[in-house]
Amino acid sequence: VRELPELFDRRVQARSLAYLFLAGAGLGLLTLAFPHSELIKDRQLIILAAVASAMAVPIWVWADRMRTWQIHAALAAGTIILSFANYYVEATVLYPLLYTWTTLFAFYFFRLDIALAHVALIAVCYAIVLILVGPASPVVLWLLAVGTPLVAGLLISRLLALLRAGVRDSERRARALTESEARTRLVLDGAPDAFLSLDRDGVITAWNTAAERLFGWTAAEAVGTPMRSLITPPEFRARHDQRRRELVDTPQTVALQRYDLELLRRDGSRFPAEATVSKIEIKGEPFIAGFIRDVSERLRRQEEREALLREQAARAEAERVTELVSGMQLLVDAALAHRTLDDILEDLIKSVRGVLEADAATILLAEDDERLVVAASSGPQPSEEGPGEPGQPPSIAIGEGFAGRVAREREAMLAQGPAPEDVPDPSLRKLEIDSLIGVPLLAENRVTGVLVVAAVAPRRFSSEDLAMLRLAADRVALAILHARVYEREHRLAETLQRSLLPQILPEPPGLEVAARYEPAATEAGVGGDWYDAIPTATGGLGLVMGDVAGKGLAAASMVGGLRSALRAYALEGHDPARVVEQLNRLVWSEADPSQMATLVYVVVDPGESRIDWVNAGHLAPLLVDGGDPRFLEGKSSVPLGVLPFPSYETMSARMNPGSSLVLYTDGLVERPGEHLNDGMAKLAAHVRAAPDDSQRLCDYLFDKLVPAHGAMDDVAVLTLRNLPMVDRFRFEFPARPESLAQMRAMLQRWLRHSGAGERQIGEIVTACGEAATNAIEHAGAVGDVPFEVAGCAGDIEVEITIRDQGNWRQPRDGDQGRGLSLMRALMDTVEVTPSAAGTTVRLRRRLDNNGGLE
Amino acid sequence: VNGLVGLEIEQRGEVVVARLTGELDIAGAPHIGERITEAVPSSARGLVVDMSTLEFIDSSGVAMLFGLVRRLSSRRQELRVVAPEGKPVARVLEIVEFERAAPVLMDVDAAVTEIA
Repeated sequence: VRELPELFDRRVQARSLAYLFLAGAGLGLLTLAFPHSELIKDRQLIILAAVASAMAVPIWVWADRMRTWQIHAALAAGTIILSFANYYVEATVLYPLLYTWTTLFAFYFFRLDIALAHVALIAVCYAIVLILVGPASPVVLWLLAVGTPLVAGLLISRLLALLRAGVRDSERRARALTESEARTRLVLDGAPDAFLSLDRDGVITAWNTAAERLFGWTAAEAVGTPMRSLITPPEFRARHDQRRRELVDTPQTVALQRYDLELLRRDGSRFPAEATVSKIEIKGEPFIAGFIRDVSERLRRQEEREALLREQAARAEAERVTELVSGMQLLVDAALAHRTLDDILEDLIKSVRGVLEADAATILLAEDDERLVVAASSGPQPSEEGPGEPGQPPSIAIGEGFAGRVAREREAMLAQGPAPEDVPDPSLRKLEIDSLIGVPLLAENRVTGVLVVAAVAPRRFSSEDLAMLRLAADRVALAILHARVYEREHRLAETLQRSLLPQILPEPPGLEVAARYEPAATEAGVGGDWYDAIPTATGGLGLVMGDVAGKGLAAASMVGGLRSALRAYALEGHDPARVVEQLNRLVWSEADPSQMATLVYVVVDPGESRIDWVNAGHLAPLLVDGGDPRFLEGKSSVPLGVLPFPSYETMSARMNPGSSLVLYTDGLVERPGEHLNDGMAKLAAHVRAAPDDSQRLCDYLFDKLVPAHGAMDDVAVLTLRNLPMVDRFRFEFPARPESLAQMRAMLQRWLRHSGAGERQIGEIVTACGEAATNAIEHAGAVGDVPFEVAGCAGDIEVEITIRDQGNWRQPRDGDQGRGLSLMRALMDTVEVTPSAAGTTVRLRRRLDNNGGLE
Repeated sequence: VNGLVGLEIEQRGEVVVARLTGELDIAGAPHIGERITEAVPSSARGLVVDMSTLEFIDSSGVAMLFGLVRRLSSRRQELRVVAPEGKPVARVLEIVEFERAAPVLMDVDAAVTEIA
């Protein structure tokens, strides 16, 4: 019964109780109907029967609506009526037996303790009846002795149970509240977005785990700190305050806003963020809750999409250029470039195998629309020999074999029990292949290859497998297309980058160099402009600016050739004119008779404040000395490749400390419909107002002379500044013998600036050379540790300090001892301070006051 | 290429003339010393090292000269060094008292004649 629904349970209880009342009333009337003792009071019993029947009616009628306590009350009332009945019959008839009915009812429908409570009531009532009827009865005494403690115990235990239930209830309510809070926190912590809340003053009151991850501040650190000082970049703090105030002051109780923000991480880095902020009022106190999402990934993806569009445009162009000069792959580091596609194929083939649960898979790529070459293959065990013969991957003609047929028909095909030669990868033929499935790889309506999947165990490929394979093939084809485009572009760019532009420009002491190159906005983008800077042994710099006729990779390869040849000749220390003559021979002997190039080659010697240059048909370099620009005109000979034996001549000019040199290509000064002289005049005019610093000079000229939307032609600019000398300097040289000449050139120049005479310069330079030689020897095998040279010039004395990081070796007899005695003989004072960190040699020499008269 | 130093060998009868140009320091000296030694056959009477066009020498260049002195004297061959006075090279040779090892002269012809 207790398992029944409570409603039904209660109706059964109520109706059963109603029956009891009626039955009791009926039994009472029945005893009156029979002959009975006169002790029995008939009238009272009839009244009691009427009362019981009257009570039975509503209980029966409203049985469904009876509450539990009402049933208890009714049962208790029944007990009392029964007790009255017993009293009125003077306990003479078997009425007490009726108590068993109510007892049974209680035990049947109620919990044991509640049933016992009813029994206790019965006992008390019956005891009272017995006392009133005959006080001395031993039955009464027994009942009292047993019943009283029983009733008291039951009442107390019931009371305790009620109290306990009350406590449990409030506990449960508290627990539920905590659980709900924890759940909320869990939901917030599990949220992928950072969540934080602020009070009306902008102080952080909540901070979830995503926020900890995003910003790098833990909740303990963030909570209690104003948001503006924690994660708002300084320049946005005022805006943050304003928005917060607006939000707090809005009359709506709930307000929602979305902002695009830039926020700060703990490490100081910034990121774009999207914040969804709401104002909520709780008990009149507003607070702000916000979800913050890092959108840099989204922005990046957006940029990637745009890049893909650009890539597609570039692809057409790259393909055109590559087809034009397909023989120019010489310049390309093919091994490096091909690895990219191979890597992609390796990955693809593995995932295709995995998705289809196939035993083997092979990708063949089409070559020249005639053959299919195995590009990647994957079998059940790593193939011991690799695919086919090493070096030459296996291939089949289109139309032959299973894969060949797939390529020719451009349709997916199935082969059950294929012939061994139908398995495209020979290394997989020893497997007992049960079935093959092949799909063509189609890109831009061309068959670029075939994807073949094989199953060993008796297994039939289903139509789902085929659909899946088609999908895979689409992706593979797309990936191959992308990889090829990428490779082509990458190769092209690399070729250009490597052959045209030095990645790092050397900067010998006292010189500052900068360069910039920008391809034409409209052209194919592969120009013949190039430049280079080559350090000379004497601490100077060889600069070249050139322009090879023509475009595309042919021009690029010519630039590559010229560049390496010029470096080789220049390093041999030839006279600039001889170097350019050698280059002419190179261009002249080129197979293409129309090939030609212009260039200007300048050798800067900062020690002598001199430049030597040779011009082969190039635009004249611009020398800027004290705001006075001058084109280095002089003899300009024919471009390279025009005559077999042209005569080039080296010209020289003074290049004072503080002056600059500008080398450029025609893209900088040539404008359609404008005379070249006007362009050059414009350049000279801009240079007058330009900054001194070589990088800023370079950028300035670009800003002023190159249109913002891109130039019509390629533009290359190279700027060099002969830094003005100062009384103090400090410079580091690599600890290599080659550094000595550079150091001497620099010292010479500086000593001349300091007013030393030529003879003194020679002596001081010799002494410093000895100290530097020691420094280089101290560095020993650790050749990368630099040594430092510092100078300080006063009116009457120069002091030069040479500091190394090695160990001073006690001068032995011979070279080193001689070095030390040379220093002592040539300088006024020589101090050698060895320490654990290295050795410092301080050299001092008084200056003769006869300047450079010697 | 040996740093900044250049070497030209000339045979004048039984005398070898080695002319140095440029700057002689640790980057070039050891190698140049070897090349000069190789250029002097055991049949030659002696060697003239012409430093009149050499712009710079340091202790490693001096060490090279002392090395030549040792090697030639073991073969009973003579060595003369030409370094015009007033130039940095002559000054260095003077400081290290090279005169005590081999004569330093002003002129190549005079040096060749002395040996021959």
